[in-house]
Amino acid sequence: MAQVPMDYGLALAAALFVLGLAGVIVRRNVIFILLSIEIMMNASGLAFIVAGSRWRQPDGQLMFIFILTMAAVEVSLGLALVLRLYHRLKTLDIDRADRMRG
Amino acid sequence: MGAIFYISAAVAVAATVGVITRYNAVHALLYLIVSLLAISLIFYILGAPLAAALEAIIYAGAIMVLFIFVIMILNLGPQAVRRERSWLKPRMWVGPAALALILAGELVYLLESGPAGAQAGTASVGPEPVGATLFGPYLLGVELASLLLLAGLVGAFHLGRRETGEETAGEQEIQTGVAKAEGAAVEEPGAALGGE
Amino acid sequence: MSELRNIIVPLITVFGVIIIAMSMAAGLIWLERRLLALWQDRYGPNRVGPFGLLQVLADLIKIISKEDWVPPFADAAVFVVAPAAMFIPVLLTFAVISYTPGIAVTDLNIGLLFFLAMSSLTVYGVVLAGWASDSKYSLLGGMRAAAQMLSYEVFMSLSLMGVVMLAGSFDLRQIVEAQRGLWYVVPQFPGMLIFLTAGVAETRRLPFDLPEAEGELVAGFHAEYSGMKFALFFIEEYLGITLVSVLISVLFFGGWLGPLLPPLAWLAIKTMFFISLFILLRATFPRPRYDQLMSFGWKVMLPLALTNLVVTGGIILAAR
Repeated sequence: MAQVPMDYGLALAAALFVLGLAGVIVRRNVIFILLSIEIMMNASGLAFIVAGSRWRQPDGQLMFIFILTMAAVEVSLGLALVLRLYHRLKTLDIDRADRMRG
Repeated sequence: MGAIFYISAAVAVAATVGVITRYNAVHALLYLIVSLLAISLIFYILGAPLAAALEAIIYAGAIMVLFIFVIMILNLGPQAVRRERSWLKPRMWVGPAALALILAGELVYLLESGPAGAQAGTASVGPEPVGATLFGPYLLGVELASLLLLAGLVGAFHLGRRETGEETAGEQEIQTGVAKAEGAAVEEPGAALGGE
Repeated sequence: MSELRNIIVPLITVFGVIIIAMSMAAGLIWLERRLLALWQDRYGPNRVGPFGLLQVLADLIKIISKEDWVPPFADAAVFVVAPAAMFIPVLLTFAVISYTPGIAVTDLNIGLLFFLAMSSLTVYGVVLAGWASDSKYSLLGGMRAAAQMLSYEVFMSLSLMGVVMLAGSFDLRQIVEAQRGLWYVVPQFPGMLIFLTAGVAETRRLPFDLPEAEGELVAGFHAEYSGMKFALFFIEEYLGITLVSVLISVLFFGGWLGPLLPPLAWLAIKTMFFISLFILLRATFPRPRYDQLMSFGWKVMLPLALTNLVVTGGIILAAR
């Protein structure tokens, strides 16, 4: 495998995380917000893998597997909620979901 | 060999920029799949082959297909692209880009001020140690993950039903995707331990 | 000098594998029609060349000379990329298979997981082709195909895990080596059946070819395609058949193991047997309805695969 300074790997994870964060802040379409959240979770997974690779332990990959599981659950529930939102509001604009019942 | 890391990193960052700037949801999704595959390659370079395979199988292969299902069910059409274009004027990006750059600067500063010289990717940690550690010290985590998946399954099933109690086509697709992602996520490392 | 050998020999292996795989896919055009005709009590193509062998050339000339047209209502970029996105993962999987003890493009230590990852990526080609065509039949075919392929991938992975547990590795070469005493079809017979069924579903062959059913869906997700892109879909299907046949031979039937003949001949014999089995399935079975297909998958195959996994693990543990 290739020897890469750990700082570069963590810097890549930081860059991806920040890009995802910018996507969450600026987009109004809820699908794009969910996509940006996925980018952020993947970036944190990358950080774990880099750390596990630096210490040559499997714990990094383990944490990545748990993050993967959590991302799968979060995406499925989030998309189910998006479908409900669309049925109710007939739009994907997240600014329109601004009032509670009663 | 180290050049592969830098090329893949550049592809991942460029594809991620593409994700957050597209107007068409399916195009953004395709850029995200490219980014995930680039990161899977980086995982392999860093000596984590099981994580690389799982990223491609589960993240790029199941979770993103869930997204594609929902986008196609929603059936957005060209007026959605026009609406995105009207929402995403360039001056919208000034605030978030500034905040993001500040955060990125802070992170890079913290990284540079730490102890230098640590190398990643010196050895390859195969599936057997990962499986042994997963079902050894982290067994509680596996049980909690299975509880989480069960909660996700029940929740997606319940949220996907219409109020009259009928199942829609979309909900069937979501349940298919959820079950596939969960099944793959749980049993891959389990079998990696087998035989040893 | 040895560095030159280290570059030349892998290059020859790579190009040899690609050429042989593509030749198999092209030859299957002829073989499928002849075998289907044999089992349907008629002649197949027998006009063009000896035994109709030049039919392949005639078909290729016809396809290449067709107009390469992108529908004006379709999403052009995705429309063009979709066939390639389906074809490349299937071709890539040929790189991790161990053909003989000496010939393999690479001995990846996660070879089987690589195959599963590539089969997950072929779903995208189908669903994007259906969506990019912007036509009702195509979209319906694409969604059906994606749901079917996703579902049957779960059982495919589960059935393969029994083999991995017995062999102790994801490396395809080590799986073949571990079958020297006994081919895995004997201890993993349910696993082999599940993998065969899932393989037929993954390559969208009859009886699981609802996504492209000629009678029902007007050719489904590739209805709007013509010319070379359409040819790419069919080459991908035949490559998929070849791939699944080679994998069944390698994973369950001992790969290149066998008494008298050279290893490559054994692998070829076993692969041709399973390719003929695929074609026989097409000639024989009727097509189930979509909901019958999905409920068969989730209600029959998944419990079978899980039981197989649990029983295999239990027996391995008890034997230790």
